[in-house]
Amino acid sequence: MKLTLKMWRQSGPDAPGGFQTYVVDGVTDEMSFLELLDVLNEQLVGEGEEPVAFDSDCREGICGSCGVMIDGQAHGPQRGTATCQLHMRLYKDGDTIVVEPFRSAGFPVIKDLMVDRSAFDRIIEAGGFITAPTGSAPDANLIAVPKMDSDRAMDAAACIGCGACVAACPNGAGQLFTAAKLAHLNLLPQGQPERQRRTIGMVEEMENYFGSCTNHRECSAACPKEISIDFIAMLNRDYRKARR
Amino acid sequence: MPVHDVLIIGAGLAGQRAALAAARAGATVAIMSKVHPVRSHSNAAAGGINAALNPDDSWESHAFDTVKGSDYLGDQDAIEIMCREAPNEVLWLEHAGVTFHRSAEGKLGTRAFGGASAARTYYIADITGQALLHVLYEQLMKHHEQIDRYEEWFITGLAQDDEGNCVGAIARNIRDGAMELFTAKSTILASGGAGQCFKPTTNALICTGDGIAQAYRIGAPLMDMEMIQYHPTTLQGNGILITEGARGEGAHLYNAEGERFMEKYAPNKMELASRDVVSRAEQTEINEGRGFPDGTVALDITKVPRKRTLEALREIVNIGRDFAGVDITREPIRIRPGCHYIMGGVKADINGATSIPGLYAAGEVACVSVHGGNRLGANSLLDTLIFGRRSGEHAAARAAGMPAITASRAQVRDQEREIADLMNRSGGRRVSEIRDELGTMMNEKVAVFRDHAGLTEAHEVVRRLKDEARFATIDDRGTVFNQDVLGALELGYMLDVAECIVVGALERRESRGAQFRTDFPKRNDDEWLKHIDLSMNGGDAPKVSYSPVTITKWEPQERTY
Repeated sequence: MKLTLKMWRQSGPDAPGGFQTYVVDGVTDEMSFLELLDVLNEQLVGEGEEPVAFDSDCREGICGSCGVMIDGQAHGPQRGTATCQLHMRLYKDGDTIVVEPFRSAGFPVIKDLMVDRSAFDRIIEAGGFITAPTGSAPDANLIAVPKMDSDRAMDAAACIGCGACVAACPNGAGQLFTAAKLAHLNLLPQGQPERQRRTIGMVEEMENYFGSCTNHRECSAACPKEISIDFIAMLNRDYRKARR
Repeated sequence: MPVHDVLIIGAGLAGQRAALAAARAGATVAIMSKVHPVRSHSNAAAGGINAALNPDDSWESHAFDTVKGSDYLGDQDAIEIMCREAPNEVLWLEHAGVTFHRSAEGKLGTRAFGGASAARTYYIADITGQALLHVLYEQLMKHHEQIDRYEEWFITGLAQDDEGNCVGAIARNIRDGAMELFTAKSTILASGGAGQCFKPTTNALICTGDGIAQAYRIGAPLMDMEMIQYHPTTLQGNGILITEGARGEGAHLYNAEGERFMEKYAPNKMELASRDVVSRAEQTEINEGRGFPDGTVALDITKVPRKRTLEALREIVNIGRDFAGVDITREPIRIRPGCHYIMGGVKADINGATSIPGLYAAGEVACVSVHGGNRLGANSLLDTLIFGRRSGEHAAARAAGMPAITASRAQVRDQEREIADLMNRSGGRRVSEIRDELGTMMNEKVAVFRDHAGLTEAHEVVRRLKDEARFATIDDRGTVFNQDVLGALELGYMLDVAECIVVGALERRESRGAQFRTDFPKRNDDEWLKHIDLSMNGGDAPKVSYSPVTITKWEPQERTY
């Protein structure tokens, strides 16, 4: 099939950006969205133009590198998938697709479709870890962890830090990422001693970069790991408790 | 010019574990990666991590399974250390916040894995690597005052002083193209494997053998390079991995005639024989016409209760849906053996030290050798953590006793010139074309079954591609995120690594572990119970030498599953 791409081009962080229109032919159903970009780049290189810069690595939905806005939706229209898992069978001949980088004040554009997501690192730095007791470790089986807690912590730990939640949010809020990282640790016995300090540190750091959550739920809908906004409720509860 | 006690190249599990260990030992640490740390390929490790943690299991049993899995090419002193230290490492991870799977009683759960005599694989659904990587990254952030992170920096070469000691590395900032010399008293390579030498592969695009080639270029010998693991269950075409955990949970393999063919090859362990055995069985079925027309056999996960699959194999449910259009809970999925892991690498001792003073290596880039001819599933995460930690500790101890070091900036200027030359070339073949030809050829000639004629031809192709790569051209001449320049440098690394793989495979005239020579189909302990070491020899093919295999408790026996 033949597709028209309206592609955001921006040569550097401070350069002005704009849309360029490209036509790509010979797209097949089996191609992933990133392979479509590969084909476009081959074509651009052949024409002596600079290829479109975009992040990608594992191409199987686990590394969290890739991520673009496709027709205004983070990671595209399909639920529960990262950009690399989106396949061209969703499109038909003659379609026009608008491709942009993740948009948020907290994620400045580096080049074309690549953004700087290091604000997430600052949030982790502000307390998103466990200060494990050093020395002799008691057997992990001595402290039984209820399966329900462990499973919920695991659901939260599935976050790959791609940033789609921020990009999808009309407010550019970082709540779903922060909530997932917090819940992962706050649900475990080993996460209890620092629970309050961690919650305050991470939530307040988050507010330095990102907007406020007003329950649009777009984050959860865009999340490739389908992380639930229940974790945001938990974040709010933990934060209020910690600040009391 | 940034100066640190310890410089770590690569920020996957081995690199991050090394950084934490070195920081804890009091060293100033820099950790550098060409990607953001949580995008590292350790992410993709799905199935789990082995440790003999249950009271009725023993580290000796784990070690024996590993030795047998290695087809007796693994060094047993190193294997003993890894298996003995495994339980504490898993507990350490648990304390740091890894959400290992818990049973209904709240105890840590295990799953069965290939080549193991007990269920000793600890796991987090089928995203074990990701879960570990993110938790280690949190720990790294906890030490952010002591550990400097350099994300999206690309190493162009290791730096040496006049005596040949490694004194750091020269790197290019991917963001703006600036070159910098990072000096360090100890340097640890933790930059992962080289799966991209093969196409398709389960490995991510970043796995281009950078560290292996960088060490090789400054004279460090490589070992066991011929040992390339083909994973039994990868998708046709794109090479995406279906975790061994699927078979661990009870999935079966069938050929196109509906026969559960592993009965013929490994009557006791069946689908859970070690990976080399299962991959060879599948390839035999396919070659003898009992596979499907697209060169695959079937993995039937419907044997596993649907609820269990949705809980414990959630990622491959998605992979089946997105990449093969198959609901794995309801129908079999077509798979075939695919390039997955390199057992060989930079020759390192049990503390990660290489033969170059000041240079350490840990994880897939290194060859300790704990995997020998064939790595057991769920031993790679363990390898990265145990030898990452040991390298970090020893690198820090080395640095603590040393006066300040000096490194010459001339090396930076040399590399700046090389990159300028590269950008100004015109008229040669495109880098991506050479890369594709290499990968396709390697997957054809240096795969599950090998022979002299095919390997000789492979060597000729690699030599030709090396010549072509010297004149290859790139299109992007800019400085901001110039991925073309990196691609050209990576191609150079891949070609060095590929040549060593081919030369090692040609040299080993026997069949052992992952190396199966149809012209020498038997294991030959009299002549080949030894490691093949390869060293850089100017621009020529690598120089071959041998080193003995360390045997402590387990004499070689016939290997059946």
